[in-house]
Amino acid sequence: MKTDDLIRAMAGDTVVGPAPQGRLIWLLPALALGFVALWSRLGLRADLGVALQDPVSAMRIVLSLGLGAGALWAVVRLAHPGAVVRLWPLAAVALGAVGLWLWAFVAMPAEGRQMAIVGKTMVGCLTTIPLLAVLPTAAVLATLRQGAPVRPVLAGAVAGLAGGGLAAAVYALHCTEDSPLFYVTWYGTAILGVSAVSALIAHRALRW
Amino acid sequence: MTHKTDDWGLLLTAALEGDSRAYAHFLRAVTPVLRGVVRARGAALGEAGCEDVLQEVLLALHLKRHTWQVGTPVRPWLYAITRYKVVDAFRARGRRIDLPIEDFADVLPAETGVDPTQGADIDKMIGMLDPRAARLVRQVGVEGDTMAEAGAKLDMSEGAVRVALHRAFKQLAVLRKRHVE
Repeated sequence: MKTDDLIRAMAGDTVVGPAPQGRLIWLLPALALGFVALWSRLGLRADLGVALQDPVSAMRIVLSLGLGAGALWAVVRLAHPGAVVRLWPLAAVALGAVGLWLWAFVAMPAEGRQMAIVGKTMVGCLTTIPLLAVLPTAAVLATLRQGAPVRPVLAGAVAGLAGGGLAAAVYALHCTEDSPLFYVTWYGTAILGVSAVSALIAHRALRW
Repeated sequence: MTHKTDDWGLLLTAALEGDSRAYAHFLRAVTPVLRGVVRARGAALGEAGCEDVLQEVLLALHLKRHTWQVGTPVRPWLYAITRYKVVDAFRARGRRIDLPIEDFADVLPAETGVDPTQGADIDKMIGMLDPRAARLVRQVGVEGDTMAEAGAKLDMSEGAVRVALHRAFKQLAVLRKRHVE
């Protein structure tokens, strides 16, 4: 077929797909389902109201949500070819988290550090956050698929940061570990794990 | 080239609102530029091979045109898609190439020679569509039928023709992926 004929045929097709970011709406049921599952299976922490007023503990949620929001913002741009992608909000959140970790490390007497890092719920944290991240990350990957990511692996990694970050914020409503030495370490590990798996999936799934 | 880009933006805006003529006009305007890019990079493929790659780029542009945001410059969007698809097409053909984005601005539109605009791959892929869809694509593309005319010949409603044509293009992209990789 000649290129001009192909163009004529394409011009006849007036069905235009929906904007990719519309698919982010699926994040709402994905997160709601995760919240309900967390609530019914593990329960919210009993002193949640008090914990939220403690800035150091509340930073778990602030950092997780910040990472999730920054990643979603980047994802929308990654879905649009040629759009400028800014990753500095993600770097800022990461820097904030590392800074908080260092501050807590210095503030903590040497003998207490290891205990504070290991905590009591490491395994629960490392399994629950990735589980809670499955659906949100899938929703974000679906958004990217509707778009046209020209950097699929990066897009997948950022999608994992979004899903992982939002999942961590949900998990934080249950988790009773208030030390940044714990939550920066293990929330961070869980989120990075989700990001790595998401990037691997994206390498194939986001090709177009 | 700046004024041209503005025109592209207006045409593409109208196209996204369903204006077929504006869309055809847009595609015809960008095609020589994209052909120039493909040929500058893929001389080793020959003119015919380059035309196949160009048609792949056009197909991708077509199916992803909703990712252009009205009001934003067309060129970065166009070149990002083109670069991605050209690299993809060459990789699928066993060649790795590197495309710095700056190069695109300097590429001159390629003139067409003795009918070098014939694509071969697309015909193979159209041949793999179900016969009705294949006939529809040729009817609209080669014969220049309107939706209504194509519908009358294929005994389909105009709405059904629109949906079928859209599906055919999506299917072509899927076939292309399977076929070339």
